[in-house]
Amino acid sequence: MVRKVVTWVDDRLGASRFTRDVLAKVFPDHWSFLLGEIALYCFVILVLTGVFLSFFFEPSVAESVYRGEYEPLQGVVVSDAYRSVMDLSFEVRAGMVMRQIHHWAALVFLAAIVVHLVRIFFTGAYRRPREINWMIGLTLLTLAMFNGFTGYSLPDDLLSGTGLRIAYSIALSIPVIGTWMAFLVFGGEFPAEQIINRLFVIHIFIIPVLIAGLLTAHMALIWRQKHTQFPGGRRREENVVGERLWPTYAAKSMGLFFGVFGILALLGGLVQINPIWLYGPFKPAQVPSPAQPDWYMGWLEGALRLFPAWEITTFGYEIPNPFFPAVLLPGITFTLLYLWPFLEAFFTSDHKPHHLLDRPRDRPMRTALGTATLSFYFILFAAASNDLLAKWLRVPVENVVVAYQILAFALPLATGLGTYLIAKSLTKREAEPPGAAPETARTS
Amino acid sequence: MKTPAQTKGIAAAFGVSVLSSIGLAVVYVQGGQTQLEGLLLGLALGGISVGLVMWAKHLMSEGEVVEAREVVPLQTDEREEVAEAYEHGAEEIGRRTFLSKWLAGALGALGLAALFPIRSLGVGPEDSLFHTAWRPGTRLVKADGRPVRPSELPPNGVLTVFPENHTHDADSQTMVIRLPTGDQIPGPDEFSAEGLVAFSKICTHAGCPVGLYQTQTRQLFCPCHQSAFDVLEHAKPVSGPATRPLPQLPLGVDNEGFVIATSDYPEPVGPGFWDRGRG
Amino acid sequence: MKVFMTAIAVVVAVGAGIIVWNAYSDRPAEPWLPPAVVRSDSTDGKTLYMRDCAWCHGAEAQGTGRGPNLTERANGTAHIDYVLSTGRMPLDSPDQPMQRRTPIYTQEQIDALVQYAEQQLPITGPAVPELNTTEADLGLGNQLYQVNCAACHASTGIGGALGGGGESLPLISRKAAILAPDLFEATPKEVAEAILAGPGTMPVFGPETFTQRELDSIVDYVGRLTEPHNPGGWSMGRTGPWSEGAAAWLIGLTLMIILIMWIGTRSTE
Ligand code: FES
Repeated sequence: MVRKVVTWVDDRLGASRFTRDVLAKVFPDHWSFLLGEIALYCFVILVLTGVFLSFFFEPSVAESVYRGEYEPLQGVVVSDAYRSVMDLSFEVRAGMVMRQIHHWAALVFLAAIVVHLVRIFFTGAYRRPREINWMIGLTLLTLAMFNGFTGYSLPDDLLSGTGLRIAYSIALSIPVIGTWMAFLVFGGEFPAEQIINRLFVIHIFIIPVLIAGLLTAHMALIWRQKHTQFPGGRRREENVVGERLWPTYAAKSMGLFFGVFGILALLGGLVQINPIWLYGPFKPAQVPSPAQPDWYMGWLEGALRLFPAWEITTFGYEIPNPFFPAVLLPGITFTLLYLWPFLEAFFTSDHKPHHLLDRPRDRPMRTALGTATLSFYFILFAAASNDLLAKWLRVPVENVVVAYQILAFALPLATGLGTYLIAKSLTKREAEPPGAAPETARTS
Repeated sequence: MKTPAQTKGIAAAFGVSVLSSIGLAVVYVQGGQTQLEGLLLGLALGGISVGLVMWAKHLMSEGEVVEAREVVPLQTDEREEVAEAYEHGAEEIGRRTFLSKWLAGALGALGLAALFPIRSLGVGPEDSLFHTAWRPGTRLVKADGRPVRPSELPPNGVLTVFPENHTHDADSQTMVIRLPTGDQIPGPDEFSAEGLVAFSKICTHAGCPVGLYQTQTRQLFCPCHQSAFDVLEHAKPVSGPATRPLPQLPLGVDNEGFVIATSDYPEPVGPGFWDRGRG
Repeated sequence: MKVFMTAIAVVVAVGAGIIVWNAYSDRPAEPWLPPAVVRSDSTDGKTLYMRDCAWCHGAEAQGTGRGPNLTERANGTAHIDYVLSTGRMPLDSPDQPMQRRTPIYTQEQIDALVQYAEQQLPITGPAVPELNTTEADLGLGNQLYQVNCAACHASTGIGGALGGGGESLPLISRKAAILAPDLFEATPKEVAEAILAGPGTMPVFGPETFTQRELDSIVDYVGRLTEPHNPGGWSMGRTGPWSEGAAAWLIGLTLMIILIMWIGTRSTE
């Protein structure tokens, strides 16, 4: 039977040699190489659950009186978008669990991408010849963040509407073209009628297609360039040591897919996420508190909260406050990230190809920069919930802000310096016993 | 090594999955229950996961395999060929300078023309950011459309109001406040009516409704990025990232005893933008 | 790995420091004895008032250096009943923050004090409200709650921080934050009283702001909101995207990383 199929396909496509190589392809087995796969499978689950949700969602802000299952909302005027998500949650069988799995998958998707990126960074896996894939990966991160935000905004509830309100104001703050940009994106002055519909098209079509395309390219490049690996054992620059795709690696990978899906299903059924019935429909004069975005936008929200009351006004024109933390900061962040492989090559004069990974301690400067940067963004992220912390500690929120402002500078310095010293002392200790063979990396 | 124990374990994992899937179907048919659905789906998927991974780890281990890696600069000879092939074609096109200029011109013009539909995406800003729906004599109404009498607000009372017939107008939302007796009423005298003062409810930072009023400190507080505005100081920002005071709405009372605005806001409300100074 | 451990340790240590400091800073600076507020069997309003309240608020409710004038804000016996039945009053010392505690008095004693205030003290303002939630409209209450209450007490009823008044405070300040409390323990009567009287820093919504039916509806909605019923599962304290993000990392991704660590280790044969 198998032989018949193979013959049939090969007669038409001549793909036998390729398929043979595919099945025999070798994957190095270090657990951290599977982080990206978690992200990949989250995306697959997002598509699966998202298709289900899209059958029920109505991207319209036309209003009607709510007469559904959820009693406390009876008689309240709501938009079709909000009502359809309420009906999906309370009336469609298995709708709630699907919706919650979808949202959890989005949060974990972004988290997995970030951890994957961190792994790539600290092991130097972005060095030549993998700069292109580093940039594709960053683009995937941006797209994922953007799609997360558009999805979060679709139900037209009070929390997400407030997020859109802020996004509109951020667009307004861009010099010269800001007003036009905000009006064209939203279709008029906030809250314009078209925005939910546009977000819907972007969320379920444009960005997912881009993500799928770039993911394919991402994996094709891994395929072409083969996986990196840690040094040690029989591993060399010129080889790949690991397990074959078929059957071992394929079985493990499928196991991972089902595992990721299973964990998300448990979260989706047991842990409540985004209870829009409590937030209520978006009304422009209402505001929720505490008002926060999903976690991956937290660093921007935190930056908005920490940036001091400062803006530029000259010759009758102004660059408003939100521009600096919410446009300039992410602009700089991503520019530096995109350029990083080239910057590092330039500063270290290392332009050679690398297929063996670094241990973080062997590159103390890079590792220190990495931990310092991470701690900076972590503080921004934490600052996005400063009001919750203030309430919990019963201290004035102003004090929490000042503390975070100080930490935003002090903590990166401290972690960077600390990392550098620790890395140095670790390598020194390894070098000390004279004549000892260089320690092999922990690769299993 | 094949051991019966491992085989049993793997079979058990798949068994859990089968039972959970059956359970899932039963729960669904019975009308569904979110927590049970999540739990059973999680177990059904998790069982397959555990079974597959155990299978791969214990029964498929074939040990390490070494595969050669093609170290990438390898096709150096072909590079020259690529460049040549390209240049050959480019030259052929380039020789016809006259035609290729026209082609460039045609593509450029088409590209420019294709940009115009972007304009259809929405109305232009015009001067909409400089005005709200408030006009001289417009009554203040609550969200349900009922007009407001001064007596509805006790000392330390607040109310969110809109211009009559414009309760959906996002940029006109306004906070009316009655300060307790003894407080210095902020702003010019003609801006307050019967002890009431009104400020735009849109934060000058990023536009959230400044919905929190503290009667002890007479401050409006924005929950989005924690800007605080001191009402006694004509709503100037006292902490947080906001840089400008909340504009004040001039109030009056009409002859039926309802609170009205005596004009629009004297300046643009809400967050800043590039040519805000133009108004 | 060690680097991360150290970083985590530092963060934990700083956090623990803040919590400990905070726990101590809530304590009164020094013991402050009178008024000797003790459980007492007296059910006579005047006796209770003179013994426990007049010390700070004065015999005629005119206020003293230790406590405010009770007639000034005109928030009526609704306010008196509110602070007594939520245990916010009496305080152990004048600079203790007003927080919900187990009431010191029995219901009978509270009624006696309220009655005394009503009849013998020059207190004006709203009386203890009567509620009739059979007429209430849950949807109306929901809307009014979202417009008037949710900004401070949160759409989910968990309360929130309101800023420290905008003064530039020293970083380590003993000044208590201004908070909107959560609503989970509030009884319907207390909710209505708070709306009418505006305790603490809360605005006042007088009898002319809301009709009786509107008031009943808000109270009804708050009761419904604070029911511990969360159709989506565990609510994680209803703190919104913050706790959801934490769960995505600490439960979701962490479990998956444990899974890939298991997948990625070779079985020893
Ligand atoms: S929107 Fe009010 S502080 Fe940012």
